[in-house]
Amino acid sequence: MPLYNFKQMHVVPSAAAFIDIVLSRTQRQTPTVCRSGWKISRVRQFYMRKVKHTQQTWHEALTQILEDFPRVDDIHPFYGDLLNVLYDKDHYKLALGQLNVARSLIDKLAQDYIRLLKYGDSLYRCKCLKRAALGRMVTLMKRQAASLKYLEQVRQHMSRLPSVDPNVRTLLMCGYPNVGKSSFMNLVTRADVEVEPYAFTTKSLYVGHMDYRYLRWQVIDTPGLLDRPLEDRNTIEMQSITALAHLRAAILYIVDISEECGYSIAQQAALFHSIKPLFVNKPVLIVCNKIDVTSMESLGEKDQKILTEMAKEAGRLGLSGAFLEHSADGYKGSLLSMTTLKEDGVMAVRNTACDQLLEHRVEAKMKGKRFGDVLNRIRVAMPNSGINPDRPPVIPSSVTQAQAMDEDNQKKTEKDLQEERGGAGVYSADFHKHYLLENDSWKYDIMPEIWDGHNIIDFVDADIDAKLEELQQEEEELLAKFERQRAQFGGIPELTAEERSLLEDIRARKAKIIADHRRAKAVADNRGVIPKKHNTDGSLNTSGMRRSLERMGMDPSLAVERARRQSRGRSADRSRNASSRAAGAEDEEMEDVPEAMKRVHSTKSRSMSRGRSLSLMAPKKGSGLKDVAIKNKALKMADRAQRRMNKLARRGEADRHIPCLRPKHLLTGTRGIGKNQRR
Amino acid sequence: MRLEKCWFCSSTIYPGHGITFVRNDATIFRFCRSKCHANFKLKRNPRKLRWTKAYRKLAGKELAQDTTFELERKRNRPERYNRELLCATMKGMKAITEIRKKRQDRFYDTRMQKARKQTRESEKKSLLKDIHLVKAPESLLKDKQQDLLLEKVAAEPVATVEQMDVQE
Repeated sequence: MPLYNFKQMHVVPSAAAFIDIVLSRTQRQTPTVCRSGWKISRVRQFYMRKVKHTQQTWHEALTQILEDFPRVDDIHPFYGDLLNVLYDKDHYKLALGQLNVARSLIDKLAQDYIRLLKYGDSLYRCKCLKRAALGRMVTLMKRQAASLKYLEQVRQHMSRLPSVDPNVRTLLMCGYPNVGKSSFMNLVTRADVEVEPYAFTTKSLYVGHMDYRYLRWQVIDTPGLLDRPLEDRNTIEMQSITALAHLRAAILYIVDISEECGYSIAQQAALFHSIKPLFVNKPVLIVCNKIDVTSMESLGEKDQKILTEMAKEAGRLGLSGAFLEHSADGYKGSLLSMTTLKEDGVMAVRNTACDQLLEHRVEAKMKGKRFGDVLNRIRVAMPNSGINPDRPPVIPSSVTQAQAMDEDNQKKTEKDLQEERGGAGVYSADFHKHYLLENDSWKYDIMPEIWDGHNIIDFVDADIDAKLEELQQEEEELLAKFERQRAQFGGIPELTAEERSLLEDIRARKAKIIADHRRAKAVADNRGVIPKKHNTDGSLNTSGMRRSLERMGMDPSLAVERARRQSRGRSADRSRNASSRAAGAEDEEMEDVPEAMKRVHSTKSRSMSRGRSLSLMAPKKGSGLKDVAIKNKALKMADRAQRRMNKLARRGEADRHIPCLRPKHLLTGTRGIGKNQRR
Repeated sequence: MRLEKCWFCSSTIYPGHGITFVRNDATIFRFCRSKCHANFKLKRNPRKLRWTKAYRKLAGKELAQDTTFELERKRNRPERYNRELLCATMKGMKAITEIRKKRQDRFYDTRMQKARKQTRESEKKSLLKDIHLVKAPESLLKDKQQDLLLEKVAAEPVATVEQMDVQE
């Protein structure tokens, strides 16, 4: 089909557009800057490139056009004639020829100017030469404006031509205008051709396609023909003539027997006879249309005769062999009737035409030279039926016997059991009975799986007794070994009961010390120190001391007594002023209390419980103070000097001081350079 | 139904307990509790966690290799039921577990030998060093002298004492 497809042709630009295209392409695709300071060879080369590029672009574009348009002599004669009819072959050839000439002229011109440019001695001259070259090329192409315009129109028309394949099976309708060719076409194919009740509705060829006998068929609708000499025919009619002349198709000559189209049957017959040279060697059918208006029978005898004549002539023209046999009634094969309005007989016409064409083509092929060659190579193999068709099933005798047995004493199936014992949903199948065990009485045993955190299956072993025996032996050996080792190295003496109790005491004591310490520490952190008189557990009085010393295994009596004696009560007679009196008493006691012997203080000395005041101490040697009085005075003066200072509570060097760890003046502010070391 | 071992801590998982994770390479990981599962998800190594069986065995804290373990072994071959064999197995199981228990005890005993020695030593030391907390040095000295005296009295017969007096 796409053998003749004129839709792919490129657009032919008008002359002005063509010039624009080529020059702008040159401008875009070649360098644009040229300097007078360049070497002359470089300048020459610059302009030569421009000229050459323009020439090449013209050449390519023109070649494209010349190749796109088909040559009238090379294509199928049907198309050749169609082009001639539609576009005038001479004009067509002339336009293409002119383009061809223009192409060669441009080539030659460019060659000349390049040669001239080789001798250009300055930039200016080179530029002028280039200008001249391009200008002449443009002038040449301007002259082709008419040809280009014509070719563009031709191209547009050609791209809309129906794509007729001249070699495929084709049905071709012809006849006077308005006889029903297009109506037939619409009925037979999917094409939608315009049908109107006036002459020359169809003004060009139309192609439709259909399927018959699983083959693809082409149906061509032609414009109507009038009975006049070939020279007088117009372009529309000429298209029909071209199709009739060149396509090897089945021809349906459609006759309007109702004469509604405005032409009598005789006139239509005359047309048939005048164009019948075109029908030679083609199957031709005379199709009588519009039998819904006028039936075949109601026709006059004269008309009937005319039709018969036409049919006979058609049979004679078209078919060489098959249909000539029954020459007496042969015309009946070629004379058919239908009505496109009621769609009656249309399919019969189509089928007859197709059959005849097929037969005709086969005959033509058999007459051809290649037929013999093909026939030699063909062999049709017919398989002989060697396989035995009836193969009865083979059932072994044992199987048939078993089946017979089963029928006698039928086994109970699970389904039977289910039905017996309450049916589906109640009955639960017994799987235990199918167990394969050594002893059938074991079938319903409950198998323990777990014992004391172990899987029983993990211990299963066929010769477990032997292994147990071995294990027992091993165990005895290991035990003996262990005992030996223990006797040898394990003799660590135990502590005696006394030691143990002592150890416990020590541990308890340690624990108590630690606990006491912790308690004291916690108290010291949070609260004031509890005065000794509030000591509730009594650990700090004499009875506490007694208990503690007793526990340590010492005799506390002396220590307690001494402590009692030395302690100072609150009464006035035991105050500081009474110390001199007490001294006398002490002297009396000295004899039986050994601790009193140690006391060597003067009468001035006060209780041992107090430290001596600074004011009572004699000034050190070298201090520059004469005696205690002076020293005390000095102390007082120092105190007084400090008093004001203390009241002000000024910060001094003895105060705790935390220096500023992150001085603000060193760490804040903008850092333009990314660091602040400059501060 | 069988008792499985936890992948992480190797404890026994009873039916209906724990969680099972099947990785997309079809490896099965069973966990006894969420603790083990969580630790697995944290990609912890059970050999490095002190509370797992794997650690204890690796670190020599527990009996790791023994014949009794070899006698309890998972078999992937199904066994056909045999009542006699099962009875023998049940008896054997008891014997095996008993022996294993004993061996574990002995293992522990041996392992603790050194520690016991250390404890004893420290106790002795404490008795010597910290005695002052419960007994004053003076009373100790007194006790000692008394002891010595008693010893002497016990050691020398009465007669000899008289002889010595005579000699003086």
